[in-house]
Amino acid sequence: MSKLNETDIQGFVLRGYNMPFARYLFLHFEDSSRARKLIGRLLPIVTTGQHWDSGKPQSTVNIAFTHRGLSALDLPQATLLTFPVEFQQGMKSRAGILGDIGLNAPEHWDRLWHDNRVHAWLGINGQSTAALDARCAEVQAMLDETHGAVQLASQDAAAIMDNGKPTTREHFGYTDGFGNPDYLGVDRSTQPGQGKLMPDGSWGPLATGELLLGYADEAGELPVAPVPHILASNGTFMVYRKMHQNVATFRAYLDEHSPNYSGGKEKLAAKFIGRWRDGTPIELSPDQPDPSIVKDSNRNTDFKYGADLEGTRCPIGAHVRRVHPRDAFGFNGRLIDRRRITRRGLPYGTPAPEGQPASDRDERGIVFMALNASLSRQFEFVQQQWIEYGNDAHQGNDKDALMGNHGGKGKFVVQGDATPANPPFVCSHLPNFVELRGGDYFFLPSITALGMIAMGLVDPR
Amino acid sequence: MPNQNGTVYGLTILSPIIDDEKASPSHDLQIRNYLATLPTGEESPFALAPGTHLARLVVMDDVIYVGAPAIEEHLQSKYLVFESNLDGDLDAYLTGLATSAGQHFDAIWSHCVGYPGVSNSTAFIAYMKACQIETTFFFAAVNNKSVNETLRALQTQRAVADFIADHQGMEPARLQAEFAEFISVLNARPLPKPGSAGEPRAIKTGGRNE
Repeated sequence: MSKLNETDIQGFVLRGYNMPFARYLFLHFEDSSRARKLIGRLLPIVTTGQHWDSGKPQSTVNIAFTHRGLSALDLPQATLLTFPVEFQQGMKSRAGILGDIGLNAPEHWDRLWHDNRVHAWLGINGQSTAALDARCAEVQAMLDETHGAVQLASQDAAAIMDNGKPTTREHFGYTDGFGNPDYLGVDRSTQPGQGKLMPDGSWGPLATGELLLGYADEAGELPVAPVPHILASNGTFMVYRKMHQNVATFRAYLDEHSPNYSGGKEKLAAKFIGRWRDGTPIELSPDQPDPSIVKDSNRNTDFKYGADLEGTRCPIGAHVRRVHPRDAFGFNGRLIDRRRITRRGLPYGTPAPEGQPASDRDERGIVFMALNASLSRQFEFVQQQWIEYGNDAHQGNDKDALMGNHGGKGKFVVQGDATPANPPFVCSHLPNFVELRGGDYFFLPSITALGMIAMGLVDPR
Repeated sequence: MPNQNGTVYGLTILSPIIDDEKASPSHDLQIRNYLATLPTGEESPFALAPGTHLARLVVMDDVIYVGAPAIEEHLQSKYLVFESNLDGDLDAYLTGLATSAGQHFDAIWSHCVGYPGVSNSTAFIAYMKACQIETTFFFAAVNNKSVNETLRALQTQRAVADFIADHQGMEPARLQAEFAEFISVLNARPLPKPGSAGEPRAIKTGGRNE
């Protein structure tokens, strides 16, 4: 395994930038040659995975395309046809497979997504609002100068602040952002618990091909990728989902049901996702939050479920256990190594601190982005089987308590034991705490591929 | 043991489909067309007749050559494949299908070679058994409970889960009283009809099972 060419990979793929401010621009291409000119102009400012030896930049720029966008850029038909089917179809067409029905159905999405006009996503992150605005102004100038694209909409997102300092909390109050997987060749500070389980019980990196096209995946195969190889290599696929959070409903549900749970409100909230709201894994500390674990990167994602198959510490249906079951399904975790995704994202909307009024109608939620080599094998599987269904976890038809599309009929079983502080409990009549407001599937090309697109050099022959 | 997994019987029937080049649409397409309209849920023929855990009807045109090193082979005929996981005795099961869902069986199997119809029960059973092949290995999701026992268990499980959800934290004496009441109501409830529990869904007519 050679070292990856970090300067050829978009930085967004290799690292979470941990910048508190972001703006996502959604572009529509009207003319392919003007659009290619715009991409050529953007190319020098696209942030790569190169090491930040001279310090973290003030802002970053990344770009990705829908299949319609690549078509509007006049990529050859023989190339367009070789993209995986789910990417060609786009996320809206996959609604049935993803469980994006009822309250989450495309007719309830933001207007932006109604007409299938989104061709490109520009992700801009900033250390400060000033840096973000400056970078956006630079991009806007390129748009004005080239007339390369129409900006359909933009989505602002920002970390929730605590006394002026950015946090990793989301609007329900949970600390987020633990545990993205490690991959072979991706140079980052690794933490135990973030890759895959090795036969000796330690954690090792996943195959590069689970994240990047052009490399061997966990099956030793190359992921399905478009031709030519050079277009695909060092690129990946991105899921963008804008997830509205019904903060008022969430708080009301906890307030209404936790009095019947002798473990208390905070423990019930922790059982929903498998971490106390400060981020302490309940598998490691089932009785109370433990800030010393949260702070310790060697401990805060280093746990397994093998000694808790009954779910009395971390419920079998808790969010973190559903989406990353570790060793819970046996076979030393081997069953899940091809179902891992890398997550990016930030909250959007004005925070409503605990104790202050919040309405479900407030524009508030999380921009969820996931990166993976195969949308169908990785993201779609996790969404369909582990979020919207419970059979793998022996939870019948139960969906993820927090993320599930319950429509008021959801159920979540909190396994317990005979102690008063940890009783078994059934959460019923679960509403949608989260509702989908739109999104799509994007291809995030390498720097080389971006250049080829800009210069019209993509040739499948 | 072939055909048996616990108390569940695994039935596999292959009936050759009539090959008549003058028939248009062909008999296999007529079966496909009829299967596509077959009701699911409580009106399914396998819900109307007793004893079916799971059943599947498939039109098999031929075996597909998957490339070397496989050997290219072909079937002598197109076949209607009928697979079922059932309770108890095969004769009684086939009699039940003929009695409760006979019109569906006649509509489907009338396109198969030598099918005698359900009106002559003895001939129907003999025909089905003549088409049977040994089910050497099969998976039964539940292999120690009858269909009715499974339906009762699911009804009880759902009711108890709802009861728990609605009564958590209740004062013990009242809880006990309500539980006694709940049990008597539950025991008096009729058995749910087969096919009544699942979400309604359309029959798949081919392609990938996504």
